[in-house]
Amino acid sequence: MEKMTKTEADSKRDPTATNQGAPAGEVLLAGLVGLLIAIFLNSSVLLTDAKRLPDGSGRSIALAVWNPIESAGSFLGLTWPRAAGDRLLGRSEPEQPIALVRKPIETYTGSEKEEPVVLGVENEQDLKDRPKETLPESPTAQWTVDRPFELWVIGDSMVQFFGDILVSLAETSNSVEATSEPVLASGLSRPDYFDWPTRIAEIMTKHDPDAVVVIFGGNDAQNIKSADGTWLARFEDSWLDEYRRRIGTVMDLVTSDRNRILLWVAQPPMRRQGFDERMQLLNNLYRAEAADRERVQYVDLRGLFTDSSGEYARYLPDDEGKLVDVRLTDGVHLSHWGGEWLSALLLQELRKSPKIDQLWNR
Amino acid sequence: MVWRVVIFGSSLFFYGWWNWRFIILLLWAIGSNWLAGNNIHRCRLSGAQDGVRAWTSVAIASDLTLLGVFKYYDFFAVELSNLLGMGSALPLLELTLPVGISFFTFQAMSYVIDLRRGVVQPMKLLDFAVYLSFFPQLVAGPIVRASEMAPQISTRPDPRQVASGEAFHLILRGLFKKVVISSWLGSNLVDGVFADPQGHSSLDALFGVYGYAIQIYADFSGYTDIAIGCALLLGFRFPVNFDRPYGALSLRDFWRRWHITLSSWLRDYLYIPLGGNRGRTADMYRNVLITMLLGGLWHGSTWNFVVWGAIHGAALIVERSLPTGRLHPIIRWALTFHVVCFAWIFFRAESVSGAWDLVSVIAGFSADTQRLNAGVVLVVVAAIAVQFVTKSASARLVHWISRWPAMVHGIAFGIGLVAIDMMGPEGIAPFIYFQF
Repeated sequence: MEKMTKTEADSKRDPTATNQGAPAGEVLLAGLVGLLIAIFLNSSVLLTDAKRLPDGSGRSIALAVWNPIESAGSFLGLTWPRAAGDRLLGRSEPEQPIALVRKPIETYTGSEKEEPVVLGVENEQDLKDRPKETLPESPTAQWTVDRPFELWVIGDSMVQFFGDILVSLAETSNSVEATSEPVLASGLSRPDYFDWPTRIAEIMTKHDPDAVVVIFGGNDAQNIKSADGTWLARFEDSWLDEYRRRIGTVMDLVTSDRNRILLWVAQPPMRRQGFDERMQLLNNLYRAEAADRERVQYVDLRGLFTDSSGEYARYLPDDEGKLVDVRLTDGVHLSHWGGEWLSALLLQELRKSPKIDQLWNR
Repeated sequence: MVWRVVIFGSSLFFYGWWNWRFIILLLWAIGSNWLAGNNIHRCRLSGAQDGVRAWTSVAIASDLTLLGVFKYYDFFAVELSNLLGMGSALPLLELTLPVGISFFTFQAMSYVIDLRRGVVQPMKLLDFAVYLSFFPQLVAGPIVRASEMAPQISTRPDPRQVASGEAFHLILRGLFKKVVISSWLGSNLVDGVFADPQGHSSLDALFGVYGYAIQIYADFSGYTDIAIGCALLLGFRFPVNFDRPYGALSLRDFWRRWHITLSSWLRDYLYIPLGGNRGRTADMYRNVLITMLLGGLWHGSTWNFVVWGAIHGAALIVERSLPTGRLHPIIRWALTFHVVCFAWIFFRAESVSGAWDLVSVIAGFSADTQRLNAGVVLVVVAAIAVQFVTKSASARLVHWISRWPAMVHGIAFGIGLVAIDMMGPEGIAPFIYFQF
């Protein structure tokens, strides 16, 4: 009586089971076959994802794995169902080529400008140009409901946490139309993942905004590929030259054709020291490029998101002295309250232009 | 023995992949609760009731300390500082919340309490370690009781009977809910409405709330499906965690269908010890309210979750005090669904004031729309309609799939993965319940 038969034990253990089971070896083989099918059918997408990885050993390994699999998949004709499906869902439409009218950007050379390419955080105050006290006048002074002031907020995932709040705040004037466009994990280092200059040119051409708010950098501290296809190691001189050129390209795309206002938002202080140092280094590049351009305002966030000792803090006192959490637990992104603070600051920056200020005073 | 070591090692690797430092927390929870559990059992056998109480208290205090330090300390420190007008006088820890801490501490507490009650026998250390760290449910449940898992861990799962059809079906279903439904609703409707309620019409805001109700269900039940499916492939069967909750005709019914393993945990280890339905009506209402408030706080240390719990508690009390059972089933369903949706507004909003903003927008009765289109309406309506598919129909589908050869399951699984990846957006947000 002590020993139950195997069937009795099974039924006691799993009375709700509805199916006939299969031997584990068979299931393991079936699962592996399934994964193999998925890998080959999806190999073109997996290869694309591998190419988007930051330059380094992980990317090299991923490419070494997915390149031959994708080649084999293509040779066997296994990649077409995915491609057909993507076409059916409108996912694989090639981007319409945009006629980029970019002002030629001078390549930065440190000797010409007598300015260090990268300033340490401690040297930040040594920059020759300080942020402008007031923004220059915008040429169009009469914005109306029919011809509203157009504001665009673009950038990486940071925009997710303040873009919609700024839009909402700006649109308290019925003569303002604002749009927020975050692209997660994007930046200026990897146009192969998302080509911001092309997208920005498209926005300028199609929507012709009056002011643009930009934030980049969180995903940019990685190796970048130069025009000739070689990888430039992060923060080496060639990398700094190329990255500054890209910053300048974006700034000029926004401000060169027309007298638009560009607010370039700095990266806020970060919890992890190494990451914070990298972001401060990028901030110095943004600040230096903005200093050369009249219509670009660099918006520093260090004062807004640090405690009394100048350090990163998740909780900070608001105007009434109450502590509010301004950062998410990841130590990087802004919380809802942080987004509100930043949006208020940006609107304040925009309103430094008297004619723009009138939009909210009517 | 070996298979337990492999599962335990895999679970630690899985957990440590995210942040290896938090493995120490998990090991502490395993060690402290197992040790306390053994002592509880020993004291119980020898009739030393003081010892039973003391060891139970030690174990629960240890578990609550973990939760308190990592999840609640900063919240209470900030609220206290603000209340007393002390600025940031109290030191803030600003710790990263270890993923899954609310789930594994609740499992650990259920083990020691069940030992005290004599409901379960002490588990061997390795068995208990597997129980607490088992990777399919470690980070977002379901909250499995020792009484459900111990018998399954103590004997090796039968390798001749793997429920591949049911397992692959559940994994694909869960991925579809998460990758396609939840992500799509989030990016096309919900996120925009909750980020800027004032910028939307009443109709958009209302559908934003309906959309969130579907999104959080698809997200969380999707994770549970995947967890149950993975466990099945390893020969373990987890309890059901969701049973078509939006088909509920009352809030009591809803809580028997939504996050069942949490609601039954709260019932067995909080509501009943508080007195449950015993005593005066007022006592029962108090017990309901406390249980729901703490259930809200379990989700996170913000006032939003407290308000969410309070709404459910108050609604349960109203439901018990009024003869709602006499209403037509359609009216009961509509009332229940909308109370649940109303509470979700506070659950999802960034702040309580933000939630009220959304409520005021909905109450404004403006019917123009920016967000609604046929696709959004179809997804929301279809997701609600699916809640009324009978259990037997689902069981028949699973039974039919289970009759296929294992190789067909594998091939269908592979094709399904590609199809889901194709339909999903680029960049999938983490599971909502990972933050709890």
